[in-house]
Amino acid sequence: MVNSNHYSEFRTQSKKGILVIYINQIYGLLKTFWILLFLFIQKFSKFSEVSLNYIYLGIVFVLLFFLVRAFLIFKNFQFKIENNHFILKKGILKKNIIEIPFDRIQNINFKQNIIQQIINVYELNMETAGSAKAEISIKAMSLAHANDLKNAITIFDKSNQKSEVFREEKPLLKIGLLELLKVSLTENHFKSLLLLFALLVGFYQQINQLFESSGNNELVDDFITENTSAIQTSIIVVLIFSILLVLVGVFSSFVRVFLTHFNLTVFIKNDTLEIDQGLTTKKSIVLKKNKVQHITISTNPIKEKLGISFITFTQAESGISKEKQKTIIKIVGCKATQITKIKNLLFPDENLHDFDNNHVDSFYKTRLYLRGFLALLLINIGFFFGFENHTIFWLNSILLPILVFLTELKFKKRTFLFSDELLQINYGTIETHQTFLPFYKIQHVSLTKTIFQERKNVSDVVFQTASGKLKIPCLKDSEALKILNFALYKIETSQQSWM
Amino acid sequence: MLNSFQNITVTYFPELVDSEFKPIEKKYLKVIISNIFVFFFIFTVGVFTVDFTQILDISSFLFYAYFSILIIFGLIFLVQFLGFTKRKYVVREKDISYKSGLLFKKTTTVPFNRIQHLEIDQGPISRFFDLAVLSVFTAGNSSDDLKIRGLKQEDAAKIKEFISSQIDG
Repeated sequence: MVNSNHYSEFRTQSKKGILVIYINQIYGLLKTFWILLFLFIQKFSKFSEVSLNYIYLGIVFVLLFFLVRAFLIFKNFQFKIENNHFILKKGILKKNIIEIPFDRIQNINFKQNIIQQIINVYELNMETAGSAKAEISIKAMSLAHANDLKNAITIFDKSNQKSEVFREEKPLLKIGLLELLKVSLTENHFKSLLLLFALLVGFYQQINQLFESSGNNELVDDFITENTSAIQTSIIVVLIFSILLVLVGVFSSFVRVFLTHFNLTVFIKNDTLEIDQGLTTKKSIVLKKNKVQHITISTNPIKEKLGISFITFTQAESGISKEKQKTIIKIVGCKATQITKIKNLLFPDENLHDFDNNHVDSFYKTRLYLRGFLALLLINIGFFFGFENHTIFWLNSILLPILVFLTELKFKKRTFLFSDELLQINYGTIETHQTFLPFYKIQHVSLTKTIFQERKNVSDVVFQTASGKLKIPCLKDSEALKILNFALYKIETSQQSWM
Repeated sequence: MLNSFQNITVTYFPELVDSEFKPIEKKYLKVIISNIFVFFFIFTVGVFTVDFTQILDISSFLFYAYFSILIIFGLIFLVQFLGFTKRKYVVREKDISYKSGLLFKKTTTVPFNRIQHLEIDQGPISRFFDLAVLSVFTAGNSSDDLKIRGLKQEDAAKIKEFISSQIDG
C-alpha cells in the first residue's frame, strides 16, 4: 500500500485543489468585503444601467482574476520527499522552499470542509514543532494519496510501523445522534451564550461602522436606548428577555456541539488516539501519547447523572510563536469505562484511587470570600450610580446566598492528590474538573505568596508545563515545600522525555 | 487509604533550603536606582515641557501632577529598595532557583534537564557596573521563565558554562 516512490519527484496536489483554493479565496474576499456587497444590494435600484454594467464587469474581472490566481497557486505548489525530509515549493512570484525533517513533524491531521466533502478530497495539515510559520497545509488530496503520504512520512518511526500491523479497527468511542443530543443539552449554556455574544459584538461593530459612515447612527442608538429604558421599567420584559436568553443559549450550544462534534469517533492505535469529528468541517486528529502534556476530565451535575463527561487534552505548544493558539482537543460524551481506557493509555499502571484527597488551607476560602465581597461591593456601587430606584439593592438578598454557596462549593472541590508519578488536581464550582499531570512533564516549578499569605504561612504552588500552567492555591508552607522538592526530584531523576 | 505526603517513599532527596540562597551583587542596587532616576527625570521633564510650552493648559493642577509623580516614584523606590535584599538565587547540582519580591514573593526553580537555552544580556547601565542578566528558557510560557538580574558578568558566564556542561553531560 505504501509507495513512497510516488513522492520522490516534485508533484502537485489533486487537480480538484484548484476549486478548493478558488473557493477559499472567494470566501476570504466575501468575509472582508461583505459590507460592500450588502450596500450594493441595498442601493441596487439607485444605480444607473451603465454603472451597473461596469459593476458586473468588475465582478467578472475579479472572479476571473482569482481563478487564474488559484490556478497559479495550484501549479506552483509542489512537494516531494527526499532523505527523510518533506520538501515543499510554493509561491507564484515570491518562490518559497520549505524543508522539514520528518522527526520535526508532530502531527499529520486530515480535515474536510463542506466543499472538500462534496468533491471528495482531504486537506492534509502538518503540525511542526518549530515555528508556527512552518505549518504546512495541502488543500486537496484523495484519501489514498493522503494516506500514502502520511505513511511515507511516519514510516521511518519504527513504533508507527508496528502500529499499522496491530491496527485496532473497533472504535473506542462512537457518539451517535442521541448521545450528542444529551451532550449538547447538558453543556454550559452560559458559556455558549457568551461565545455567541462575542460573535454578535463583532458583527454589531461592523454594522455600526456601516451606519456611522452613512449617517444613520441614531437609528441603532435609538433602538438600543429604547430597549434599555424598557428594561429598566418593566420586570416582565426582563423575564421574557432572560427566558429568551436561556433559549438562545441552549440553541447555540446545540449548534456548537453539533457542528464540531458530529459523528465523533475515537480509535486507540498503539500509542496514539485518533479522533474524527465534525459536520460541515470534518476533522481527523491524531494525538500522539507523548505529545499530550496533561488531561482534564470534566463533568457537571446533570452530565454526572447521565454518566458522561468530557476530556480535554493539551499538547505542547509549537514553537516560540507569540500568538498562543492553544491546541486543545476535546472528546465529549465519554463514559466511565472509556475514560479508564484513555487514562490507562496515557498513564499506565497509575492508580490514584488508593489515595486520599488533600484539601488546601482554609485561607483559600478566606481569599475567595474577600474577592467575592469585593465584586459584590463593586456591583452595589454600580447600582447606586446606575439606578434611581433603590429597591434594586434587594437583589443583594439573592446575590449574597449565591456567593456563599458558590464559594463553599469551590473551596470544597479544590483538592489534590499525587502518587509517585502522577499528580491530580481537582477543582470547579458547578462543574467538576480533574486534571492529571505526570511529574516528568513539568517544565519548572514556582512558589508564590503575597504578604497576606505569608502571615498565614501558606503559598501557591505553580507547575509550568509546555502547555500552560497548573496551580494549587494556598498550601501550607511545609506541604508546599514538600511537594516542590518531590516534584523537582522527580523531574531531575526522570529519564522520560516530556515530548 | 493513603496519604500522598506520607507515600513519598524516597527517604532522601535534596531540599530547597532558604539558607543556601545567595544574594545578588550589591552593585545592582545602583543600577536599579539609576534606572528609577532616569524614568523619574523623563517624567518630570515631560510634565515640565508640557507646562512650559503650554501644549495643554495644566497649570491649575500642576502641583498635583508633580506631587503624584513624587509619591509614585517614592513608593517605587521604597519597594525596590526594601525588596532588593529579597533577590536571591542558588545553583544546585541539577537545578537553578531564583527568588524575589517584597509584596508578592516568588521562588522559581528550573531543573537543568528542562532547559531549552540560556542567554546572557547586558544593558548600558549594567555594562558600566560589569553586571549581566542570566535568562533561562524552558518549553513553558516564556514570561514565567527564570531571569536573574544583577550577576557579575564573570559569574553569569560561569553559571552558564556550568549549566551547559551539565545538560550535555
